[in-house]
Amino acid sequence: MKFKAIAFKEKSSERIYRDYISRIQKVTKALPEKDQNEILMELNSHIYEDLQQHGGGNEIESLLNVLEKLGRPEEILQPLVADKKMEQATRTFNPVHVIKALVYNVTNGISYFIFLILYVLLLGFVILIGAKFIYPDHVGLFYNPGHVFIYGVSSADYHQFEVLGNWFVPVTMLLTVVVYFILTFLLKLKQTLKRSRN
Amino acid sequence: MLYICTMNEEFVNKWISQVKKGTLTFIVLNILKDGKEFYGYDLITEIKKATAIEIAEGTLYPLMNRLKTDGLIDSKWVEQTSGIPRKYYHITEEGKKTLKIMSDYWVNLNNSISNLSK
Repeated sequence: MKFKAIAFKEKSSERIYRDYISRIQKVTKALPEKDQNEILMELNSHIYEDLQQHGGGNEIESLLNVLEKLGRPEEILQPLVADKKMEQATRTFNPVHVIKALVYNVTNGISYFIFLILYVLLLGFVILIGAKFIYPDHVGLFYNPGHVFIYGVSSADYHQFEVLGNWFVPVTMLLTVVVYFILTFLLKLKQTLKRSRN
Repeated sequence: MLYICTMNEEFVNKWISQVKKGTLTFIVLNILKDGKEFYGYDLITEIKKATAIEIAEGTLYPLMNRLKTDGLIDSKWVEQTSGIPRKYYHITEEGKKTLKIMSDYWVNLNNSISNLSK
């Protein structure tokens, strides 16, 4: 089903309407196209139905009234975008969606903030992989029982204790992926629990 | 004295807005419970008719989305001759069951409060 714009007689009404529609589109831009279209069409239908009921008089006045009663798109759609983004993130496991969803939800509870921190820490692993190529002697798994245990960067030269060698790169990659899936799975579980509690 | 009065009014207004927010789901499900289908605008008109609740109309849509993800309601688009389709909502079986539990709780709460304020 496709979005169909409402036709107006006056140029000014047209401009106000276009502005409101583009604000809806801007707020929902981070969502899948299907969700964007769904939200746009539903609010458009609301505007149209209200104008049918209360049209009659001054067109601009009627339009301004309905838009004011609806509220600012940035405000009313925030919870909807946050919910839908989280649905998408935990469905696709796509890191970009996950980070965006957490940013949208960060005001909805401390746990989202903690998740965001954990994901950022995970980014540290990725940085380690790059660092291994630049400072091969200072990055790795340094292990000497009772003396050293470092997974990452060591300022002192412990290269004689380094146990993984170039295997450090694939091991860290694997670790990143595994931790990522565990975290995202926990996030998904949290959403399901939250839903069944509500 | 005047200061105290305005404080109280502020407190009551805040409380009222919390109650409104908290009961909106309950009101929506009650309107849908007989199985009749409503589109968003229609539903808001009905809410306003049935209760004195003034809501920012746009806030209804995030609420409807949550109810839908929770499986309490479902929706479908229906084409109109105007070319601007309506999205109709209806209650699901699970929604009816949930509403029953909510209604029981509501009655209990109401009784308790009536007893307390006697």
